[in-house]
Amino acid sequence: MSRGSSEERSGWLFILPFAISMTLFFVYAIVRTAYYSFTDFDLFKAPSLVGLSNYAALVSDELFLIALRNTIGFSLIVTTVQTVLALALAVLVNHAVRARGLIRTVFYLPSIMSSAAMTLIFLWLFQRDGFMTAIINVVLAYRPHILLFFVGFAALQGALVLNARRSYEGVSIFDPFFLLAAAAGALALVVACALVGLLPVFANDLLISWLNTQQQFLFMPVTLWSVALMNVFTTVPTLMLLFLAGLQSIPSDLYDAAEIDGANAVQRFRHITVPALRPVTFAVVTMGIIGTLQMFDQVAILGDAAPLASRVTLAYYVYENAFPAGASSRIGMASAAALVLGILTIAVVYVQKSVGVKESAE
Amino acid sequence: MYLIFLGVATIMAGTFVLAFMASLKVDPLEKPFRIYFDQLNPAAWIAAARLGQEGGGDALWGGFSPGAKVDFSVTYAAPADTPIVEPKAEVPRRRPGSGIAAALMRDYAADYASIALKSSSAATMQVRNERGVREEWQTRTFAYEITYSTDRPNGPRIERTPFNLTAPPSQTLIDSPISPSRSERRGRLLSWDNITPGALGLIFNNYRRVINETADLQTGKSLFGSWLVNSFVIAIGRLVLTLVVASLAGYALARLKFRGSRLLFAALLFSMTIPAQVTFVSNYLIFRDLSLLNTPWSVIVVFVASANVLLMKQFFEGFPREIEEAAIVDGANRFQVFCKIVLPNAKPALLVNAILAFQGAWNDFFWPLVLITSPPEALTVQVGLLSLRRSFGGAQGDWGVVLAGAFISIVPVIILFVLFQRHIVSTQAAKGIT
Repeated sequence: MSRGSSEERSGWLFILPFAISMTLFFVYAIVRTAYYSFTDFDLFKAPSLVGLSNYAALVSDELFLIALRNTIGFSLIVTTVQTVLALALAVLVNHAVRARGLIRTVFYLPSIMSSAAMTLIFLWLFQRDGFMTAIINVVLAYRPHILLFFVGFAALQGALVLNARRSYEGVSIFDPFFLLAAAAGALALVVACALVGLLPVFANDLLISWLNTQQQFLFMPVTLWSVALMNVFTTVPTLMLLFLAGLQSIPSDLYDAAEIDGANAVQRFRHITVPALRPVTFAVVTMGIIGTLQMFDQVAILGDAAPLASRVTLAYYVYENAFPAGASSRIGMASAAALVLGILTIAVVYVQKSVGVKESAE
Repeated sequence: MYLIFLGVATIMAGTFVLAFMASLKVDPLEKPFRIYFDQLNPAAWIAAARLGQEGGGDALWGGFSPGAKVDFSVTYAAPADTPIVEPKAEVPRRRPGSGIAAALMRDYAADYASIALKSSSAATMQVRNERGVREEWQTRTFAYEITYSTDRPNGPRIERTPFNLTAPPSQTLIDSPISPSRSERRGRLLSWDNITPGALGLIFNNYRRVINETADLQTGKSLFGSWLVNSFVIAIGRLVLTLVVASLAGYALARLKFRGSRLLFAALLFSMTIPAQVTFVSNYLIFRDLSLLNTPWSVIVVFVASANVLLMKQFFEGFPREIEEAAIVDGANRFQVFCKIVLPNAKPALLVNAILAFQGAWNDFFWPLVLITSPPEALTVQVGLLSLRRSFGGAQGDWGVVLAGAFISIVPVIILFVLFQRHIVSTQAAKGIT
């Protein structure tokens, strides 16, 4: 027996378990989903072909359109915000910190927690009379204090920097020592004014519906904005550490050379940092898109705590049609929606990939 | 710059610390939110331990059992011209909570407890009124003794001793061993859920409630406990299966040439982008037809270990080829090479995969939700949290129990994280780069 055919045979033996699970639970499942999307299957009677009527029903189903809009909006917002925020934070802290020990542990913590536990903690934070509402209330009650603090802060900082610039050149507006001094000064000013009684405290007792509401904000329900906030919260620290790892692998000679050539901070960021981070950014964005398009757990755990239209996403729409509460399954509809979700995912990832490739060819 | 880093870390950790503190509270939605309360107060722990010892002979978990003699003294204060009357004290018939287990409760402390006022003593104190002027107020301390009926020496041990005090609103409570759980009718009625908690019973009351109050109506067994066991079984099963499948397939894809390997690899990458919701109908039907629904087997088996295979493949590709080739020249076949040489050297990669698989299976929500729906004790802990939210977090607003459940559910992952922090962090980084 030749070497090649024996390798062929043992190769197949080795991969057999994986091939079986892949074929059965993935390939076959997709093919069967595609088939069901053309039938009126309800889990019990034998499926019969109904052509494209499921897709027609989808397009005229208002809930589906809401789910589609919610999913795309959510994915766009969360992916953009988490990537930009993580990159910005990583660049800001890159020079000072080599992420280590306790801080790194804290940063990875949200990413290892189950979405169920995270969602429950956030549900508690976002109760109508919960902690987030309390924070907003405090901010509103002390708005003169906060306003005075920022005005005082900006004025002090400006005065300090202008004063310093009279004696020597090149003092940055964001000089950290002056920032601290200005903050302390502004704080003292606020405390002084408050003690004298110059600043009114507004009494208010708001109840904010973060979750259980039909309200829209921009193009997305308020409920989903709350979920988006939570998603960003859980992903940003981890993504930031990924960016940090990427940043620390950029050789510092590049920056030194650019600085000698007279490139300013913005130019260095655009022409050195961004290109060097491209692989990491690509991975982060792809992960973000895939993760957000599948967002399901949070919506399911919200359950009856929020109206369906304010929280439904495509993934949840599929589940809701397959196992509707108090009705028979609409597997046909569910399968059609599932295919739309799958195709959407592939399309977005593909577009992202081709754009990414084009950029790196520059 | 350090400040920003620390700031982000503080927000992260702060949220968890805050939520954990709230999970200890009697009412996590209390307004205004206090950071200082009995459960975080060592003086109250000591008092609770004493009360638990007197009530149930158990300084840690308390209780109310035959022979109990509990001293509970409270102090009221009132302006000098207002008389302080003795409050009306009673042990009410009160169920511990809103859960199913409340329906299972048979014994009430009210049926066995008798209250006697042992002594009362008067004193005065200085109080600043609204205008900042010092005023003389009178105070009175009432010492109650709550005893377990002596004619019932074989009575049951009762977990909680609720307690109510009713007094006119003109006098205010200024001191008690542990703070009242609730105050109603403008402070007229003060009620304690349990005056014999024991130290741990005071601090981890909500955690005890999660275990005790999620009980099955028929068997009375704790549901939360069986959810945890189910999750463990599933996570371990998934871990073992993942290791076998991923190491075999990873090796084949990295080392062996065979027809279809490129196609399989493409399918692997493809499967990592497709949401589980796309494939779940068919998989659900497979397990229905095998009548494996509602068993742990379905959740253990239904997965495609693409990410794990990818990790193993990358590891094997970096593994020196020469050692294997030497063994093959010596006449070993592929399987022997794999078992004797490759696997023993792959421990780091296997460890990472094991952690990843356990964590993934433990945190998985979708498949258990779809494949295991009944009976209630067959759920996993993640799906159990959903039913916990439904039965406690709704109109009752009993968020202490819900948060406590969430924190219990993350303990195994936290332990894993603490033990294998280095590996997990490098895995997360690797997941990002691939």
